[in-house]
Amino acid sequence: MESEAVKTEVIRQVKTQYAIDNVKQLMEKINDHCFQRCVPKPGTSLSGGEQACFTQCMEKYMLAWNQVSTTYISRLQREQQ
Amino acid sequence: MDSSLADHDLEKLNEKDKLELRSFLANENQKARVQATVHSLTDMCFKKCVTGTIRGGKLDGSEEGCIANCTDRFLDVSRLTVNHLQNMRQG
Repeated sequence: MESEAVKTEVIRQVKTQYAIDNVKQLMEKINDHCFQRCVPKPGTSLSGGEQACFTQCMEKYMLAWNQVSTTYISRLQREQQ
Repeated sequence: MDSSLADHDLEKLNEKDKLELRSFLANENQKARVQATVHSLTDMCFKKCVTGTIRGGKLDGSEEGCIANCTDRFLDVSRLTVNHLQNMRQG
């Protein structure tokens, strides 16, 4: 491999690893919060209502993540000036 | 292209590419730190702001506002802590 190819490959692997870590963290938090909220009394199977709640909770959590991200980043930018 | 990197492949990096990689890594590291903060803030603010029964996958207006305020106020507080500790050190 040439230097250029090695560099490109390192960049690709690092980016993939960071993306995986990010998704893992997000999934962990979603499972924590939404299981707590949507499955208060676990039964012998996941009910339709619980599944619907979980999906909506997950969507809400991701929107919340985006909202925090936007707020935090715009603050960082403001304070850097 | 073979996607696996062997240790000795890294020795093939020339100085220019090494430099470029260093700044790429510093940049990615910083992004990861920002993301870690976003994860922990979301964790905290979701708990505080999304308290009602979950009906629908959107955030309602008050939840959205609450999350933005929660983020901003937490950052205010963490700055207060830094300032206070600095004052204690000087005092």
